[in-house]
Amino acid sequence: MNMVQALNSELDLRMGADDSIILLGEDIGIDGGVFRVTDGLQAKYGQERVMDTPLEELGIVGMAIGMATTGLRPVPEIQFQDFIYTAFDQIVNQMAKMRYRTAGRITVPMVLRTPYGGGIRGGLYHSQSGETYFAHTAGLTVVTPSNPYDAKGLLSSSMDLNDPVVFLEPKRLYRAQKADVPEEDYKVPLRKANLVRSGDDLTIITYGSMVPTVIQTVEKNSLDADVLDLRTLVPMDIDSIVASVKKTGRVMIVHEAPRTLGMGSEISAAISERVIEYLYAPIVRVTGPDTPFPYRLEEYYLPNERRILAAARKILDFR
Amino acid sequence: MTENVNEQVDKEKYVRAYGAMVLSRTFDRKIITAQRQGRVGFYTPTMGQEATQVGASMALDKDDLIFEYYRDVPMMIHRGVPMEKLLDQIMGNSEDYAKGRQMPSHFIARDNNFMSIQSPVASNLPLATGAAYALKYRKKNSIVLTTFGDGSTSTPDFHAAMNMAAVYELPLVFLCENNQWAISLPIEKQTKAEIWKKAEGYGMEGVKVDGNDLLATYKATAEAVRKARDGKGPTLIEAVSFRMGPHSTSDDPNKYRSNTVQDGSDQDPIILTEKALKHMGILNDSMIEKIKSEAERIVTEKFEEREKIPPPEPSTMFDDVYEEMSWMVKEERGEIL
Repeated sequence: MNMVQALNSELDLRMGADDSIILLGEDIGIDGGVFRVTDGLQAKYGQERVMDTPLEELGIVGMAIGMATTGLRPVPEIQFQDFIYTAFDQIVNQMAKMRYRTAGRITVPMVLRTPYGGGIRGGLYHSQSGETYFAHTAGLTVVTPSNPYDAKGLLSSSMDLNDPVVFLEPKRLYRAQKADVPEEDYKVPLRKANLVRSGDDLTIITYGSMVPTVIQTVEKNSLDADVLDLRTLVPMDIDSIVASVKKTGRVMIVHEAPRTLGMGSEISAAISERVIEYLYAPIVRVTGPDTPFPYRLEEYYLPNERRILAAARKILDFR
Repeated sequence: MTENVNEQVDKEKYVRAYGAMVLSRTFDRKIITAQRQGRVGFYTPTMGQEATQVGASMALDKDDLIFEYYRDVPMMIHRGVPMEKLLDQIMGNSEDYAKGRQMPSHFIARDNNFMSIQSPVASNLPLATGAAYALKYRKKNSIVLTTFGDGSTSTPDFHAAMNMAAVYELPLVFLCENNQWAISLPIEKQTKAEIWKKAEGYGMEGVKVDGNDLLATYKATAEAVRKARDGKGPTLIEAVSFRMGPHSTSDDPNKYRSNTVQDGSDQDPIILTEKALKHMGILNDSMIEKIKSEAERIVTEKFEEREKIPPPEPSTMFDDVYEEMSWMVKEERGEIL
């Protein structure tokens, strides 16, 4: 299965088993979603459970929150993460804070799915990586898969959670890889990073669409690196990060989102606070630049082998 | 015989409604005074909107859900939220449902189906559509009422919720409590159109009612509720009243308006309700006197009782961020406590 099929398979399984799961979003029903993640589900489960909503992101998210407060387990889709901002108040002030402001009397079990990131020639408004906006909000769990297997298992765990999840799907990877994905339900745990590859010289911390890029670069250039795929951005798996840094003493963080106050900033600060005495070299971030996302020049925007390799040399050569 | 029983039931219903209005007004006066004395941090008085809210509340069943806003004390009292819990919230003490986390006037009373609020106005409206959808999907007989002020009708949340509610024909009543002021902005500067007329643009019925008239508000809401329960979709009710007090205890309305309805004046909805119910033979002077003195006694006693309750334990501020506490919060708790 590719990532689209893996996500579709999980939604199908769960909807079949639990009638409290409702999908809602733009063009997700008869059209199956612009990326086809919900393909065939409306035909199977009906318009009541796979809702083609009006074009209103605020309304989609707010409605889903209302459903979640009253016993349903909605899985809304925002067509592109770039379009989510009109719903931002709902996400930050309602979805994230409901449990806290009601002292657990009302909870919001929902998974807000949205494709994010560049690499599909989407320009400024179909390419953004806005994970920091969500990561900075107490009460949200922010999850992003990097391959079909994780996508299905992480979605499953997210749908089990009695808290809201922002589930960021790296759209560039939707159809980029095929993997053996079980037909049945299985879990990939939240709050746990995946040590994708093990090495002694260097720790590379990454997630989402950058994971394949990092792995290819490491393998092609025979870097002896730990590659940590965060999977859950918040709360991130600090124990796995610290364990790897203690082993290698050299750290690179790779993400597509802009550098300033990106996930790399937080990871870097957390490492410095805990294990600075283990570091042999400055922590280096390889990220998207602090510019909007350009249409024709996107290959310059996205971190690539050349930049990752240059950063690796800088870190490994540091004395 | 049946008629007499109904009449008796009706009488009790109106006496109870009037009692809730008086209790709410007494509560308002007490909290405003206490705020000036430094015993309460903040409050958004409800005075002037008692008839609107109690009238609407009379039309609801116990299982109906309310996505309220911050000026709904009369409705909460009428639906049986204990005075203790209102005071606990205002004081943010350790007995507060929400452990003192929200500033005063941000009530929740899940037991009475008040679903809690956030400060940005109208943001509960989209949630009300989701809850109404859930009730419809589960084929429940209950409906949702959501309340908001006139200023809220300018927000994208209002638009989103009105549209969703109409498209999905939800069992939902939108009650706009038009008190004619959004802090300092008068209604004529808020919107060019009459609020109830906005409904038509969404394919929904809109109704305008005198929000100072308890019976009229009750009847208009009851009609909208019946429609919602019968699967005939949502209604927007504009109940026009007047915000007699300031926006909040932090606000000085003398800066932006001069003509106000005075507490106890002829336009005061409580006085208007007294007159109407006396005319109907439901209330008399001695009953009114008794209801008012009883309200004074309850509010004074309960205020002093709840004031003695200590604030929440500091460790509680770290709870309920997630079902399972995150390592960050655990670490921060360790640093702060």
